[in-house]
Amino acid sequence: MKLRVENVTVKIESKEILKDVTLEVESGEIVALLGPNGSGKSTLLRTIFGILKPVKGVVFFDGKRIDKIEVISKNVAYLPQESSDTNLTVLDVVLLGRTPHLSGFKLPKSYDLEISKKALEEVGMIEFAGRKFSELSGGEKQKVLLARVFAQQPKLMLLDEPTAHLDISAQIEIMEIVRRKVNSGCSALVAMHDINLASMFSDKIIMVKNGKVVYVGEAEEVLTEESIREVYGADVRIKKVGRSVYVIPKTRVKKNGKIVHIICGGGSGRDLIYLLSEEGYSISAGVLNVLDSDWEAVIDVGGEFVEEAPFSPISEEAHEKNLELIEKADVVVLSNLVVGKGNIKNLIAAKIAAELGKLIVVEKTRFESRNFFGKQAEKIYEEIVKRARVVGSEREALYEIRKVLG
Amino acid sequence: MKRLIASLTALNILVALLCLIVGSSGVFGVDVFLRVVSGVAKESDVSIFFGVRLPRLILAMIVGASLSASGCAMQALFRNPLAEPYVLGVASGASVGAAIVYVLGIATMSNILISAFVFALLTSFAVYKLGSLARFRDQNYAILLAGIAIATTLSGLTSLLIYFSAQSMHKVVFWIMGSLSNPRWEEVYFSLPIAFFGILFLLLNRWNFNALLLGEEHAMAVGLNVENFRRYLIGTVSLLTASAVAVSGVIGFVGIIVPHTMRLMVGEDYRKLLPATILFSTIFMPLVDLASRISTAGEIPVGALTALLGGPFFLYLLWRR
Repeated sequence: MKLRVENVTVKIESKEILKDVTLEVESGEIVALLGPNGSGKSTLLRTIFGILKPVKGVVFFDGKRIDKIEVISKNVAYLPQESSDTNLTVLDVVLLGRTPHLSGFKLPKSYDLEISKKALEEVGMIEFAGRKFSELSGGEKQKVLLARVFAQQPKLMLLDEPTAHLDISAQIEIMEIVRRKVNSGCSALVAMHDINLASMFSDKIIMVKNGKVVYVGEAEEVLTEESIREVYGADVRIKKVGRSVYVIPKTRVKKNGKIVHIICGGGSGRDLIYLLSEEGYSISAGVLNVLDSDWEAVIDVGGEFVEEAPFSPISEEAHEKNLELIEKADVVVLSNLVVGKGNIKNLIAAKIAAELGKLIVVEKTRFESRNFFGKQAEKIYEEIVKRARVVGSEREALYEIRKVLG
Repeated sequence: MKRLIASLTALNILVALLCLIVGSSGVFGVDVFLRVVSGVAKESDVSIFFGVRLPRLILAMIVGASLSASGCAMQALFRNPLAEPYVLGVASGASVGAAIVYVLGIATMSNILISAFVFALLTSFAVYKLGSLARFRDQNYAILLAGIAIATTLSGLTSLLIYFSAQSMHKVVFWIMGSLSNPRWEEVYFSLPIAFFGILFLLLNRWNFNALLLGEEHAMAVGLNVENFRRYLIGTVSLLTASAVAVSGVIGFVGIIVPHTMRLMVGEDYRKLLPATILFSTIFMPLVDLASRISTAGEIPVGALTALLGGPFFLYLLWRR
């Protein structure tokens, strides 16, 4: 079923909860509704279902307006966020989904019983049919309520945070069940809190803020650092994983004004960069090849850096710049990097930092095992170690830096 | 379930016979009973049978069924095991109505009945209105609070009226305690149609009660117009309890004891629970009434007896959880 919400405005006690909302859900589509608490997600679902009447605007189901909840519920199923506990059996709870299809004072028949049992099979809960609903776990209850939604034989499902308060496996299971149902020709509008889950399971994302639709589109285009900052007011990093998007929070720390320069490359400095940045140190790094993961990390934390073209040896110019950054830094850290012809200048830079008395060396593995330059590099490293503090891990490096900088 | 219904029906017949045979004026022998039924008995026996025991039995059944079915319905609407028919303020409203009639010195049977009935209905209407006008997100909660507020006010008023009622004081108090003594056929004619149609409405809606059990949002989600249903339900329950209280006074706890006993036996499904509750109430109420009229030389108010049973029952519910 195709849903179209057109210019809908909803007021509750003279306060505008939804402002001029327009959106569409095509049939066979899962649309995730994202937004912070109180942004109007639940109100939107309740309005579409006809529980709340908009002061302005229209809701169309397959192009038709339907006002009565008794009629809407024949084609549209709504799953509220909260539910009371009941001692009804699981099967009786699912049977309630048949209510819109019973007329007058009628009670469900054997035909309705069959449909309800099938719905329980769809969510894998048929063996719980005779159990009391109140005795189930949170995830099981949610599956039973989904079965109730299925028993309604809906063409459109409105689900209000169906994965709230559930553990990770139950969350995935619920969303997979919803996905299967949608693939069999239903459509779904799902209010969600978990951005990652939303990007994994939805075809389209709608972001709402203060009762307004602010972004609409596919996960990759909609979920950006900017959109999440605007809608949620949170600083995050976005990683693309396969088709979906992964959101990682950036911790908000005050910069303490101290600069740590990290000589790294090939991913050996990544953890250090994030760890020290989260601790409030300003980071600089060099010399890094463009597209190296250390290079991405230092851009991520907004640090200064010296770069070199991918797979190219360090030029004299870059080396000079690196030395300038070392000069500026309060502490310099040499990561557990691999040394070869291309980056031998980084080792020389470290030696200079050691002579300045501000070098900490992270030695997680023996230098020989990561030296591909030869004897000469080994000699330089020996010189470095003599004048630097050597630690065994990134965390120890942090403790050392704290000691040095106070 | 079928066996439960059959055995409850059989018990109903047994208890009914027992209540007709046994009474404060003695036990009818089988011979007297048969003579009364076949219309050849002494006049005094006939008047005891048709004038006292039969209407009293019928009234007990009506009152029991009205209060129990109402209590059962209220427990679904408020999703609260302690909800009872009197949460709408019906009992305190009826008490004021009856007390006023006594104070004014116009306490005939019909005056008490009408005054109690009208005051009970007015009170529950006021409770419903005040509850729905309140700015609460949960309307049921508002109605419950309004019920408590109004009941408290009215019971203060009742105390004042009792204080001013001088010689008839004990009569008011006795009325409020609840009793089925002095049964009249007029009371049966008055309450039977209300009970019949009221209980029929509840029975026809037993599926909708199930829908309410997961919460009102869920009831709406399966297409129930909760707003309308609540209105009709509160109207029906008000009528049922007001008529029960008008004929019997305030008999407490029946609306809790009976539905919960049945809940333990048949579970929460209202398709079974509601009929079972009604069938059990027409056993329970006459039986308690019988106990109240034969336990002492005079007669103890049946309301006091149900309250005596009600307290321990509450504790049982508390400990069972």
